[in-house]
Amino acid sequence: MADAGAGRPIEDRTAPVAKGAVNLLFIAPAMLLFGLFVLWPVGSAFYYAFTHWDGFTAPRWAGLDNFQRALADSVHLMSYVHVVLYILGTLIFEVSFGLLVAVLLNSDRRGFALMRGLFFSPVVLSMSAAGVLWAFVLDYRSGLLNSVLKALGAGELAQPWLSQPSTALIAIMIVSGWKYAGFYMAIFFAALRRIPRNIYEAATLDGAGPAVQFFQITLPLLRQNAMVAVLLAVTGGFAGFDLFFTMTNGNPFGATEVPATWIMKQAFDKNQMSYGISLTVVLAAVVMAISLVYLRVSERLSVHRY
Amino acid sequence: MQVLKGSLALFAAALMTTTALAATEIRITHATTGGAEKEVLDKIIADFEAANPDIKVVQIPFDDDVYSNTGLITQLQSNDVPDIYFQWAGFPVKRDAEAGYAMDLTEALASDGWQDTFVPSVWTEGAGTMVDGKPYLVPTSLDVTNTIWYNEAIFEENGISPPATWDEFVALTKTLTDAGEIAIIQGNNEFWPFGNWASHIAAKVVPPAEYTAAFERTGKFSTPGFLKAFEHIAELRAAGGFNRDLQGLGADPAMATFLEGSAAMHPIGSWLIGTAKELADADFRYASFDTPVIDPDHPLAHSVIGTATGFVVHARAKNPDAAIKFLKFYTLPANQVLRAEAGTLSPIKGVNETANLDAQTDQMARMLAEAPAMVPPPDTTYPVALAEAYYQAAAYVAAGEKSPGDALSWLDETVALIAE
Repeated sequence: MADAGAGRPIEDRTAPVAKGAVNLLFIAPAMLLFGLFVLWPVGSAFYYAFTHWDGFTAPRWAGLDNFQRALADSVHLMSYVHVVLYILGTLIFEVSFGLLVAVLLNSDRRGFALMRGLFFSPVVLSMSAAGVLWAFVLDYRSGLLNSVLKALGAGELAQPWLSQPSTALIAIMIVSGWKYAGFYMAIFFAALRRIPRNIYEAATLDGAGPAVQFFQITLPLLRQNAMVAVLLAVTGGFAGFDLFFTMTNGNPFGATEVPATWIMKQAFDKNQMSYGISLTVVLAAVVMAISLVYLRVSERLSVHRY
Repeated sequence: MQVLKGSLALFAAALMTTTALAATEIRITHATTGGAEKEVLDKIIADFEAANPDIKVVQIPFDDDVYSNTGLITQLQSNDVPDIYFQWAGFPVKRDAEAGYAMDLTEALASDGWQDTFVPSVWTEGAGTMVDGKPYLVPTSLDVTNTIWYNEAIFEENGISPPATWDEFVALTKTLTDAGEIAIIQGNNEFWPFGNWASHIAAKVVPPAEYTAAFERTGKFSTPGFLKAFEHIAELRAAGGFNRDLQGLGADPAMATFLEGSAAMHPIGSWLIGTAKELADADFRYASFDTPVIDPDHPLAHSVIGTATGFVVHARAKNPDAAIKFLKFYTLPANQVLRAEAGTLSPIKGVNETANLDAQTDQMARMLAEAPAMVPPPDTTYPVALAEAYYQAAAYVAAGEKSPGDALSWLDETVALIAE
C-alpha cells in the first residue's frame, strides 16, 4: 500500500492540519466530556457546599455555616486523627511488612515463588469481600478467632473485636495489612531483583554482615520504590472507605470513623446532603495539600546534588 | 407463500397482543425483601395482574437500610420515577409532600368510598398520613416499632414471667444474666434499634412538654426528665441488660440470634413476626410484653410506640390511575387479611378482627387496641439527624461509654450544630 503522503514535499507533510481557533474543534469532544463529568460536578459540589440541602427539598443559601460546623464537629475532626493512625498502621503492616517479606523471600530456592504467590493472593480479592470475610472471622459470637481462643482454653481473651473502641481500629489496620502487604512485597521484590549481586559480593568481601548490607545497600537502593510505596499508602489511606464500611461503618461510636464514612453518613443516613458535600470539599483540599507537600519533599530528597 | 403470509399474520397478531398486554406498567419500590410478608406481596401482585391483564406491576425492592439511606432518594430524583413508593408515616411524608414528590390523594380516596374502608384514626395529622389536611400516604400496615419479645422456654427454665413494672424488669434481667443467659440481645450498629426503645423509655418518664420541647429544639435534653430516663438505661446496663457487641452487631443478626433460641429477650418491632415465620423452628415459642410501666403517674405510662407505613403515589407517576387502582386492590379486605395472617396488622376496618391471626400478631393487635396512647418514634417524627443524635446519646449510656449526664451534654452540643 502506497504512503498517502508520498510525493508531497516534506514541509507540506509536517505542516499543521489546522491553524488558530479551528484547533479547538479537535479538543472539543474531550473538553465536553471533561466538563460534563469533572468540571460540572466539581462546580455543583462547591455550590451545594454553601447551602442547606437535605437532598429532597430545594437548597437554601447557607454561606459558611457548613464549614463552621465542620470545624466544630468533633467526629469529623477525629476522623482525620483515625485516618492518620490508619496510615501509620498501613506503613507498618503493609509497607514495612511487605518489604520484610520481599527481602526474606528474595531467593530462587524451591518453594519461594509459591510462598510469594501465597502472600500476594489476598491482593486479588476485592476490598469489600475481604471486609465481609474478616467481619465474620472477628465476630464476637461465632467468629473464627474467638472460637479458636475458646477451643484453646483461652476463652477469657475472646473479645467483641469490632464492637469496642479499643480494638476496632487496630483490627482494621491488621486486615488492611493482610490485604495489601503482598502488593508492596511485589513492588519491593521487583526492585530487589534489579540490585546487582556484585555489590553484595563486594560488601561481603569487605566484611559486611546481612544487617549492614540491608541498611547500607538494600534500603538506600530501594529509596525510590519506598517513596512510591509511602505515597500510595498515604493517598490510599485518605481514600479508604470500603474496608471501614464493610467491617464497622465507623462504629463503635465513631472509633473507626474516617472522613469517607462520615461523609456518607451525613449525606445519606442523616439526609444532610449539603453538609456531606462540604465535608467532601474539605477532604479534597486536605488530600491535595498533603499530596503537594509530599511531592515537593520527595522531589527534593530525590535530587542528587554534585 | 401462503404459509409465509399466515406466519407473518400470526406474528403480527402476537406482537399486537403483547403490545396491548404490556401497555401499562406500574413501578413500585419498597423495602420488603423476604419473609412471609414478601410472599403475600408477590401473591397480591400476581392476583392483580391476573385481574388486570393490561397492567404489569414491576417491583424494585431494596434492603430497608439501603432503601431509607440511598435507594429511595435516588429514585425520587431520577427522570424515571417509581409510580408508587413505600414510606413511613410522619416526617418523611411531610417532607415528600413539601418537596413535591407525593401526590395529593384527596380525590382518589373520596371515590368509591375508599377512605371509609380504613379505621378513622389513620386519617389525622398525628397519624402522619396527612399534610395540611390532605392525605398523601395510603397506610397499609400498623407497626409497633418496639416491644420486648421473649423466649418462653428460657423464661420458664428460669422461673420468671413477664414483668409489670420497670423494677421487676431490671430484676429479671439480672436473674437471667446471673444464670448465664444472654438476657437481652440487641444489634445497634445502625443506632435506630435501641434508639427507638430508648425514646419510648424517655416518653414514659419525661414530662410530655419537656420531651416535645427538646425534640422541637425549643428546649434542651439536659433536663431532670431525660436524666432520669438515661439513668434507667444505665440501671439496665448494670443488671447485664446489654450484650457486649451491642454496637457492632446488626439488627438482622441480632434478630436471628433471638430466633435461634440463643437469647432470652429481644426488643424490636412487630415485623419480627414475619421473619420468625421464615427463620424460627416450628417449636420455637415466643411472646412479647411492652416496655413496663416506669412511672405510674406519667400520662404515657401505658403507651405503646408505633407508626403506620404505607404507599405514596409519586406526583410525577407515569400511570397514576393504574397506581391508584393497584393500591385500591392492595387494600381490599381480602388482601389485607392475607397480610394480617402473615404477621402485619392492617389499618382496614374489621381485618384484624376477622383474620385468623397467629398468637403473636393477635397480641400486637390487642396491644394497639388497648393502649391509651401511641408514641411515634423520633426518626419518623423529627429530622433524621436530630433523631439519630438522640439515638447515639442513648447508645453511649447503654454501652457504658458515657454517663447519663455526659451523654445528655454531648447530645445538646451535637444538636446545636445541626442546621435548622
